[in-house]
Amino acid sequence: MSNIDRRTLVKGSLAAMMAGTAFSRAALAQSAEPILLGVSGPLTGPNAQYGAQWKQGFDLALDEIHAAGGINGRKLAYQFEDSQSDPRQSVAIAQKFVSDPRIVMELGDFSSPASMAASPIYQRGGLVQFGFTNSHPDFTKGGDFMWSTSVSQADEQPLLASYAVRRLGLKKLAVLHLNTDWGRTSRDHFVKAAKEYGAEIAVTEGYIAEERDFRSTLVRVRDASPDGLILISYYSDGALIARQARQVGLKQTICAASSVYSPKFLELGGEAVEDVHLGTRYFPQDPRPEVRKFIEGFKAKYNGQEPDAFNAYSYDAMNMAAAVVKIGGTDRRAIRDAFAKVKDVSSVIFGQATFDVESRRVKGAMNAELVVRKGQFTLWDGKPT
Amino acid sequence: MSSWFDYTINGLIIGNVYALVAVGLALIFGVSRLINFAQGSIYLVGAYIGWVAVVRLHTPLPLTIIVVAAAAALVGLVIERFGLRPLQNSVRIAPLLATIGISFVLDQLVMLTFSPNPRALPSQLPDVRFQLGGGTIGPLDLLIAGVGITSALLLFVFLRYSKLGWAVRAASQDRDAAMQMGVDVNRVNQAVFGIAAALGGVSGMLVGMYYNQIDTAMSLQATLKGVVAEVVGGAGNVPGAVIGSLLLGLVESYGVAVFGTSYRNLFAFLLLVVVLVLRPNGLFISPRQAPPEPLTGTFIAPSRPLRIPRWALAVAGAIFAVLPLFPVSFYVLQTLINAWLLGMLALSLTLVAGTMGQVSLGHAALLAIGAYTSALLSLTLNVPVGLAIIGGGLMSAALGTLLISPSFRLRGHYVSIATLAIGEIVALVILNWESVTRGPIGISGIPPLTLFGYDLISPSSVYWFSLAVMVVLALLQGRLLTSHLGRSFRAIRDDDIAARAYGLSLNRYKSLAFIFGGFAAGVSGGIAAHLYSYINHETFNTQQSILALTVVILGGLGNVVGAIVGSVALVGLPEVFRIAAEYRILIYGIVLLLLVRFRPQGLLGTI
Repeated sequence: MSNIDRRTLVKGSLAAMMAGTAFSRAALAQSAEPILLGVSGPLTGPNAQYGAQWKQGFDLALDEIHAAGGINGRKLAYQFEDSQSDPRQSVAIAQKFVSDPRIVMELGDFSSPASMAASPIYQRGGLVQFGFTNSHPDFTKGGDFMWSTSVSQADEQPLLASYAVRRLGLKKLAVLHLNTDWGRTSRDHFVKAAKEYGAEIAVTEGYIAEERDFRSTLVRVRDASPDGLILISYYSDGALIARQARQVGLKQTICAASSVYSPKFLELGGEAVEDVHLGTRYFPQDPRPEVRKFIEGFKAKYNGQEPDAFNAYSYDAMNMAAAVVKIGGTDRRAIRDAFAKVKDVSSVIFGQATFDVESRRVKGAMNAELVVRKGQFTLWDGKPT
Repeated sequence: MSSWFDYTINGLIIGNVYALVAVGLALIFGVSRLINFAQGSIYLVGAYIGWVAVVRLHTPLPLTIIVVAAAAALVGLVIERFGLRPLQNSVRIAPLLATIGISFVLDQLVMLTFSPNPRALPSQLPDVRFQLGGGTIGPLDLLIAGVGITSALLLFVFLRYSKLGWAVRAASQDRDAAMQMGVDVNRVNQAVFGIAAALGGVSGMLVGMYYNQIDTAMSLQATLKGVVAEVVGGAGNVPGAVIGSLLLGLVESYGVAVFGTSYRNLFAFLLLVVVLVLRPNGLFISPRQAPPEPLTGTFIAPSRPLRIPRWALAVAGAIFAVLPLFPVSFYVLQTLINAWLLGMLALSLTLVAGTMGQVSLGHAALLAIGAYTSALLSLTLNVPVGLAIIGGGLMSAALGTLLISPSFRLRGHYVSIATLAIGEIVALVILNWESVTRGPIGISGIPPLTLFGYDLISPSSVYWFSLAVMVVLALLQGRLLTSHLGRSFRAIRDDDIAARAYGLSLNRYKSLAFIFGGFAAGVSGGIAAHLYSYINHETFNTQQSILALTVVILGGLGNVVGAIVGSVALVGLPEVFRIAAEYRILIYGIVLLLLVRFRPQGLLGTI
């Protein structure tokens, strides 16, 4: 019996190795010796979609970087390790990257438990952990090797609150939020800002990420009789809530956080997301040159597909990484120091990104007030819905 | 008042959705006494086949349903023929594990084919809404209800009045007797799997249309809720599954109404535990019916364990102990640290599941209790880390035993389901008890490991520490197994009635097993908390529980060395397959299936 075990094991690993050689050959074809970045993120498991979106943004940025001559003539490449957003795997990946001298810095992970569990290893190993989607307020407190371009919710939520309360004139709000560290932090910042602007918070409801049925939650919302619904959601759950809100007969204005900004939101939500308002960092008709370059490049590379927020984060992150490596070279400590030196990097999210050395984050995200009209994201024209 | 009407309607609507999965699960359980963890994956496959039919082929709805039913039935037949039939003479636990492996493989195949991005699955029914109370319902709600109730009725009639139905019931009551009477049991199984899979596929498609959204994460959730509904209704009882589903929907809806959205699943799982404790066979099975589990311990394989000579163990231990002195990469050490931490969890589970026969599917809860206790002790009360970890172990032992004690009277699969529910309840309490656990924000800045004032932060020192703790726990457990206590545990596992007749108090011995097991798991969680420096409610999830059970079965139930070998294998394999990128979990699932197929008693055999 044990013979068969061994044989099957050997077969399995052979298949794995063959798949692997195909993979690494493709990576090698680009250049003999590229500067290597480590990426820790989900390619399988429940968050796999976000890992796939990261890759699209990274690859586009890399194409542009290489077309512009690379990093002082050298190419830039990344090694993507699948963590499934699982802290047990992200810590192993962290040790792998730290002990691999070719890796000059690390990007990711996606979820807070996976990212922050790996932080002590990156900090002690002296490798920059560049968490570009890590909005958890304690992420950069992990040490001076933790840097983030994730838009701080302390910055983003007051913008959304201002849109909802001051511009749309909503006075009594129901807040629905993902009950994760991101959703909770966002909700707290939103509620604080909205109250400052003079609105009343009628009810807040936190839901878990796997939730699909919101009808009973929405009855609760209805009974609180708000004049606006605030969604602190991702695009898939945001679309579900919007659809079900219309089904249970809620006709209030819906205003959503920028994380719903995705063509998928329109596709999944259909007619129900018509007239949904959202604050975003950029929008399809945005005249800014860096946005035009990003959107047009993205559509050309991916068969006309519209980029979404996560594509933009990863695109920006790769450009930022390139700018940092240009200054810092390939020395890990010099790269950490370069984060403090890098200035005004062209960015879709920030326009021009410069790190605040104290918080190791970037402040001053761009803001655009959008609304869904005729199934498209468009700039809000100031007309009530 | 009108709101309560709306909550009721909403509860029934979502109950409808659960019923579609629960009916398929009940049918399979009725015949093969198997909780089919792959049912959610068939549901997923059905949803994506539906997407291809609707969006690519533009089939009309009746044709779509036929296509999806036929394709899903085919998948079901393949699973039955190649995944489960070869295991029918092996142990009862093997098919359960095989369905878990099959669900890995199916989910991954769908993800690789269709990408993990969610897709819209437009409904093909006219978009008219009927006003009902404060809200509206659409034709799809009615169709889902229609499919659920009709299929339950049809199945009921089929089982009661048709010849094949009789054969199905005969096979479910006594397989050997049915075979002696000339029933072709394989054909019965085939029929049941085909029908259940067709139903599962169609339900996935309908639910996808209902939400206008399908994605690869829908499979596990569907299985979880379906299992809850099915067990509440009475495992194996098809009409009961429908009523159980509606009840589950109502309880969730009223839970949201009274306490708020974040308590929703808490009520679902509390309902399950309450039903299991009060009516272990479910609400709709008469207590007179023969217990669905056999009285003697065929649930676990009797096998001759592989005896490993002591000197070999000592040599292996010595090699691992001196490993950090050699130039091995920190990555290898970190992977082994993960294996030792999983090893402690597996030791705990192999004791309660293997030696004691209480197969737990919620073991990650013990990790979480240990981790939170240790993290909070060291952060808020400044308890030294070493003591805090021991505190975590003790808390896990105490709280874990207390939580599980109401389900001590349960047997076989019901224990697994009760522990699954308790695991979910613990995670949801951690999420909602914000004043203590800090809710979804989690606990950050947990101090690193220290021992007698020395910081253990280098990978080698963490490695030695976790290896040493695991070895001590393993030696203790090995000693325990050869003692009078260990023999009593196994006696209860093998025949609890005989054990009781012999004067053994079941509850006391079960408590002792959970106390020891809880301590080992709690210590593992505590060390992990200090290693990661940040934990939240998602750190120790259901996947961890399932992984631990896989390790234990792979190593051989009750086998201490097997638990450790299994941990190294299951932590190591995904890392070895890392080179295969997106394909690695698929390969892992296939390897798992092959192991179950060719060595169901585990690598080292059951003790």
